[in-house]
Amino acid sequence: MITTKTYKGLLIVFSFLLLASCKTYLAPTYNQVIVDKATEATTETYLFLATVAGGSDNDTYFSRESTYNTLISKFETLNLLAKARPIPSNKTTQRINNLLAERNSPSSSSDYPSAFAFNRIVENLVKMKETDQTSGLNPIVVEAFKGEIEIFLDQAITYESFLKR
Amino acid sequence: MNTKTANLIDSIKNVASTILEKDIALVTGFSERQIEAISKQTLIIKAGIATGEIEDDLITFFLDGLKHMVTNFINTLKGILKVVLEKVWNGIITVLYEAIGIFPV
Repeated sequence: MITTKTYKGLLIVFSFLLLASCKTYLAPTYNQVIVDKATEATTETYLFLATVAGGSDNDTYFSRESTYNTLISKFETLNLLAKARPIPSNKTTQRINNLLAERNSPSSSSDYPSAFAFNRIVENLVKMKETDQTSGLNPIVVEAFKGEIEIFLDQAITYESFLKR
Repeated sequence: MNTKTANLIDSIKNVASTILEKDIALVTGFSERQIEAISKQTLIIKAGIATGEIEDDLITFFLDGLKHMVTNFINTLKGILKVVLEKVWNGIITVLYEAIGIFPV
């Protein structure tokens, strides 16, 4: 038998469910194109880094210039694609951001960690290109560029893959 | 507590723990990879500066890089955390709706 107390309980549950949106979104939507393009650009970057792993002479820079330009344009495109998606904005995300801000968590570009990573990869390739052109690259400098690019690739691909829910 | 309430509580616990267990494992793997890679990167830069092979503006560039990679590592974790919260929230809402007989879209 349904009592008044049960009715009140049901009313509270219904009110909660009606007030709460059916499904909530706190992060951008998954985009398979970004993951595919990032995988392709990653393979090409590793291939290029392998060819200069032993260092390079600036006399032969022009043979590598078009590869630099291709890679830079690919990661710039990825940066644009990653930032082109709208970020869901609601009270929940604002509360999370406020909470993290109170804990002194970094806030710059926090809504687009993959876009930030793609942009930093572009900066690395541009700097590597400039250095290659002016003085050539020694092996440890190539290793340092590769290390930084790898870290940002991992951040971008992990985040983008995680958006597939 | 009656059986129906206990079953509903179990369903909520199950959906939350299933999502959390899987995602926490992925987050742990990512964090370990990042910490190891950032440590290696720091030592590469240290070695390059010590031998003079990394010099001038490259020193500034790579030191800025270390700062950026740590900042964005934290921001990536924040982004992933939002996805996990979203999945747990939607999972629980689905269980509650189904208990009432409504199927969320």
